[in-house]
Amino acid sequence: MKKLSYLFLFTFFALLFTGCQEDEPSFPSSENPTVEVLTNEIYGAPNRKFEIKATLNDDLGLKSVRIQIPELSLDKIINFATEPLLTTYDLSYFFEVPADRGISEAFKIKLTIEDVSGNEIDQEIDLRLDGEFSAPAISMITPKEGAVVLLSSSTDLPVNFVVNDDSGIDYIEVKCEALGINELIQLTGSPQSYTFNKTYTLPVTAAQYVLTITAKDKFAIPNMGTMNINIVATNEYPAIYLCDQPKGTNLTTDAVGVPMYFHTKVGQDFEFKYYADTDNKEIYFLGQEADFAPHCFGLNASGDLVDDVASSAIVLPTKGYYKIKVNPSTLVYSVAKYTPTSYVWANVANGLWHDDETQRRPFVSIAGGGIQGANWDTWNAWVQTSLHLANNPDNPYQLVGEYTLTGTMEGTFTGQWWSPSWRLIKNGIATMSPGSNGNAKYPAAPGVYKVILDTELERAFITKK
Amino acid sequence: MKYKFIGLLIAILCSSAAFAQITVKGTVKDKGAVPIPGVNVFVKGTQTSVSTDFDGKYAIVVPNKEAQIEFSFIGFATQTIKVDQKTVVDVVLMEDSQSLEEVVVVGYATVKKKDVTSSIASVKGKELQTMTVGNVTESLQGKVSGVQVTGAGGPGAQPRVLIRGISTVNLSTDPLYVVDGIPMGTSINFLSNNEIESMDVLKDASASAIYGSRASNGVILITTKKGKAGKTKFTVDMSTGYQIMEKPYDMANAENYATIMNTAYTNSGYSEYLPNAEQYRGKTTDWWKAGINKASSVTNTSIGVSGGSEKNTYAISLNYYNSDSFYDIGGWERVTARIANDFKFSDKFSAGITLNPRYETWGTPGNWADFVKIDPITPIYKPADQLNGTENEYSIYARSPSYVWNPVASVSRFDDYTDQYNLNTNGYLQYEPIKGLIIRTQGSIEIGNRVQSIFRPDFVIDAAHEKAEINSIERRATTNNDWTWQTTATYSRAFADKHNTSLMIGSTMEEYNGNDVWGYGEGVPNNSESMRELNAATKNRNSAGNRWSNSLMSYISRFSYNFDSKYYLTASFRRDGSSKFMANNKWANFPAASVSWRISNEDFMTNASVFNNLTFRAGWGKVGNQNLPASVYQSNIGQGYYVIDGQVVDTSYPSTMANRDIRWETVEDISFGLDFGLFQNKISGSLEYYQKKTNDMLFLKQFPTYSGFPGYSTIWTNVGAMQSSGIDLLLSYKDTKGDFSYGVDVTFTTVDVEMLSLSAKGEKLFGASNRTLTVEGDEPGYFYGYVADGLFQNQTQLNSHTDDHGTKLQPYAKAGDIRFKDVNGDGKLDDKDRTKIGSPWADYNVGLNLNFAYKNFDLVANFYSSIGNDLVNQNISDLYNGTSLTNKVSGLNDMAWHGEGTSNYVPRLSRDDNNENFTKFSSFYVEDGSFVRMKNLQLGYSLYNKFGLDKLRISLSGQNLWTWTNYSGVEPEVGGGDSSKGDGVKGSGFGGWNYPVQPTILMGLNVAF
Repeated sequence: MKKLSYLFLFTFFALLFTGCQEDEPSFPSSENPTVEVLTNEIYGAPNRKFEIKATLNDDLGLKSVRIQIPELSLDKIINFATEPLLTTYDLSYFFEVPADRGISEAFKIKLTIEDVSGNEIDQEIDLRLDGEFSAPAISMITPKEGAVVLLSSSTDLPVNFVVNDDSGIDYIEVKCEALGINELIQLTGSPQSYTFNKTYTLPVTAAQYVLTITAKDKFAIPNMGTMNINIVATNEYPAIYLCDQPKGTNLTTDAVGVPMYFHTKVGQDFEFKYYADTDNKEIYFLGQEADFAPHCFGLNASGDLVDDVASSAIVLPTKGYYKIKVNPSTLVYSVAKYTPTSYVWANVANGLWHDDETQRRPFVSIAGGGIQGANWDTWNAWVQTSLHLANNPDNPYQLVGEYTLTGTMEGTFTGQWWSPSWRLIKNGIATMSPGSNGNAKYPAAPGVYKVILDTELERAFITKK
Repeated sequence: MKYKFIGLLIAILCSSAAFAQITVKGTVKDKGAVPIPGVNVFVKGTQTSVSTDFDGKYAIVVPNKEAQIEFSFIGFATQTIKVDQKTVVDVVLMEDSQSLEEVVVVGYATVKKKDVTSSIASVKGKELQTMTVGNVTESLQGKVSGVQVTGAGGPGAQPRVLIRGISTVNLSTDPLYVVDGIPMGTSINFLSNNEIESMDVLKDASASAIYGSRASNGVILITTKKGKAGKTKFTVDMSTGYQIMEKPYDMANAENYATIMNTAYTNSGYSEYLPNAEQYRGKTTDWWKAGINKASSVTNTSIGVSGGSEKNTYAISLNYYNSDSFYDIGGWERVTARIANDFKFSDKFSAGITLNPRYETWGTPGNWADFVKIDPITPIYKPADQLNGTENEYSIYARSPSYVWNPVASVSRFDDYTDQYNLNTNGYLQYEPIKGLIIRTQGSIEIGNRVQSIFRPDFVIDAAHEKAEINSIERRATTNNDWTWQTTATYSRAFADKHNTSLMIGSTMEEYNGNDVWGYGEGVPNNSESMRELNAATKNRNSAGNRWSNSLMSYISRFSYNFDSKYYLTASFRRDGSSKFMANNKWANFPAASVSWRISNEDFMTNASVFNNLTFRAGWGKVGNQNLPASVYQSNIGQGYYVIDGQVVDTSYPSTMANRDIRWETVEDISFGLDFGLFQNKISGSLEYYQKKTNDMLFLKQFPTYSGFPGYSTIWTNVGAMQSSGIDLLLSYKDTKGDFSYGVDVTFTTVDVEMLSLSAKGEKLFGASNRTLTVEGDEPGYFYGYVADGLFQNQTQLNSHTDDHGTKLQPYAKAGDIRFKDVNGDGKLDDKDRTKIGSPWADYNVGLNLNFAYKNFDLVANFYSSIGNDLVNQNISDLYNGTSLTNKVSGLNDMAWHGEGTSNYVPRLSRDDNNENFTKFSSFYVEDGSFVRMKNLQLGYSLYNKFGLDKLRISLSGQNLWTWTNYSGVEPEVGGGDSSKGDGVKGSGFGGWNYPVQPTILMGLNVAF
């Protein structure tokens, strides 16, 4: 009915105004518009965006630009406002080449520019899909990100990395303003691989440094790769980690908790609480989180604690909870088994959410981000039973489960109405008393992870399955 | 000497007159041959007049054979008959609904229709009784201009009645119903249409201001049937028939469902949901047939007796109404009696009392949509191998993977019924100490009790998804006792023949009290009928109860004056004091005034015989709305709990804060009208324009965070203004050609509503889960969402839907998905691109009422239409959406986009809907909601004075038989949203699985003897 009414009104007004008024304002004749493209040849690649850049001009005013690549189903018209008239326009249009195109294919990009007077000009640009867009790959051998250099041991800073690139490396640059490092290595013959190895000397004062490594390739449209490495030079360890993984394990594949951050620190006296889930559990202390080098504390042949990557593991004889103390300066450690006295939350796991309150059973789930099926809505945490943790039959202080992580994660383990709840703050600490600490974000590769929430340790361990 | 001649002349004249005098006798009856007492019989051109007696008989002396006798009676067309040779003149008077001599109720008084100065529309009970309806307002639809009635389906459902649009956004929009002078709230479900003598709708403030603080939505005055002096009359009115329920959509069968879901899954990259769809061929579960009856009965019956003498008249009626639901259980039943007695003790002293006991019972499952939505593959009952014999009777049903609870099982568990008992006693005393002064006092007591009983049996259909491990019982008893008392004194007098005045003053008091008690328990030993009592509950017993009261005290006055029945002035004033407000604002004044000019009575119109009536009216008045909760002037503490260290700790928090300065919403309106009657009232009607403005609108606001109050603390405040304006037109034509008579009434209503201001400049009030918006300068509650611009047909269209730099506006879209418009052109598709995508408010409503009569046959046809409004068809998200496992419309795999050019409306089937085709509220959901509905078509045949009866009429009628609309939802008559969420106005026009207004076929029988 409304349509009919409008149709009637439209017809009425159309008749009323026919001959009285033109649909669009008319413009005087003018010169043709001009176009200046940044390049006549654009490199693209399947599944990758390329940019069309051009400067459009017209003496009176531009009306539109049309971008066409029929083979790639692109037909875009950008219309320009006419109040006020636009005499110049910097075209910057990105388009992604479909993934199913071959790298040997080439196309013509047609630009059609029209001005308000009706003048049109065309411009063609070649598009090739054989472009190389990968930045040179920098593989760091030492130092690793977050490396700790104990100045009392040595002031050397060995820098060792390898750069690889398919189209050849143009130059490599190593920079650290605070250390006065500024090296530019211009390579000849465009090698596809280059190894950098040089040792610098650090000042004796404690400080933090950022080492910036840049590499540029030799492609027609050069690609550049950059890496920043944070280094801590210290007379004391800011943190010590307890690692129960065998040497050589990649310590960056977990999302949370490996190696384990200390519990308390007084001076250089670090104390850990730790749960050995088997007899004869082997542990090390690490001076850095991401690697076994440079500071790995284990036992030497005579059973003394040493800072040596080649040292042997400390063995915890039986399964159970331990209080472990270590001083990396005095190289003294102690291990004492204990029986926890904290609240046993085992009865809150294995619960069940139900619409009817009387039929709900306690449970612990997670609210957060980067976890498949989870969001910050607690209701969601209740009803998504796949997020519910189960009781560990071997340890009443542990709730366990499996989550699929989709990227950087954050979360709070929660029961109904946030009670109980453990907020996952930085360093893998899952605490019921987070204080002013907010939820920390943990980068994680997508995939399935094993989850342990240890309510005695107030720690979470989320490790790749 | 002179005097002698004069004396002689007089004597001669007198004697000549005496010689010619003739006595004429006769009987006056109506069309049904029922004698009419009290008919005024008047010899034209003389002062001679008499009235008919109880048997309708009269005898009058006329001067000669040329004399003309005029017979007139209220409600009947006046007849004039020349005496000629006759000495017996029997007359049959025909009813006339347009008579200007008719009485109209104006609130605390009645006036003749011709003396009305404000906007009042009257409908006779007879017109309302042509339909068989539970709520009489449904029968009012289309019969009164300026009144928009939106029907509601389902036993006991209450239609939405808007008188001249809306004047509030947050409070109730229902008018005030006043029955026999007693305000009865905002619902008249309790009243049978057979009890009604007439209904008068006070449309403008100049008419309704006498009801002050409750009149802003208009007032409907209902007069019930009273006895008339004369012989005892018995009446029986019966109608019975069936309401028809057709399945609203052709849903997919099992094989087609599998095909549709498989397509949705494979389109999203999943493997087929139900591989080998053909295996389901012939295995469709017909849920609809299993649970929904095509025909459900409806009955409306009244038995009445009335009569009386000069000293005492009475009217007694017993009324029964029953409407079954279309399930096997449930419905609504109402039994009412009305016993009215009026006494005339002397010329000065009269009294009356009416008793109105009522009983209602209702309860209907609400899950009919589930019979449509549940998948067609799941069987109704579990297969035998899944039963172990220990299940209870509610656990033998199968669970659907569609997450729709087995509807047959739900209906079998249903046990939620309410019984309501009321007794209204309404009495008056009237005293006329001197001529023209009437002192009347009237009181009413209403006692009511409502008991709702709910039992939920335990069952396990699926241990994870569909179960109640423990049964529960609850019962709530609500008692109310209300009383009103009003006393008026009215003095009417005419001065010097031409100055007619009337002054009424009075006072009223009303008090409304209620209390409730609720009990709850679980663990009733078994689900048998006899155990469904609270005493049988063994666990988790709980109880609650509360009490409430509010009152109103008022002073009223009205002054009326007319000069020579040409120039009229009426002024009224009401002062209301309400318990809902504190001392500062407890009292408010509601003045009103109206004038009219009966142009047709002017001398210069004497020759303009074409006009029988031409009256111009203008009115102004102020009315209020106090329908906010009764205790907003006081702060309230809410109760809650919080779990600390595993222990539940009781908490309390400020839930609502007092606003001691709260005051009424005030509506001020002006109204202009022109009433006309032409060609002996063959053509008549009225044309009116009104404009009403609401000030101090009541809003429930949240506190700003800096106030320190929790976010859920609220306060009522008076902010904002709005305005409604429009035109009401009533046009009637009637004529008689021999045995054939016919009449046509057309009503035309326009309403234009605009928000003038809100609580803050630029404020946006969202409603219906952010799907409507209310802002300054526009109508309230318009649909607010994205603009769906068809479907992407190919990759080129997808690639071109970018900003000026190539960034895709809908990165997840694929061909076949909805293209949403970048309305603000900023190169992003976000909240800012939402815009007005439709309006729930009609451009105009038209009613067409036709009546024809030929000899003993009569035919009535009523049509109602709403033109220009939009509706949101929420069912689309169930019927076309591949993300849910509910059943889809048949052939959706072909309807939905499945290749370029195959559809530009129904998006491709998708399990994931990454493009948010269905979750983004867009114009995809908005449809033209205009409709024309044939409300009633009734053919009747009457016999008079046969079989010992005064009248016997049989009729066949169909209600809501035809509806013309482009709306593809279930029911185009869609009212307001959930008023408990403040969406009464802001959530209007959202159509979903509304219980439809059903086509109904009825047979009727009316007997009078």
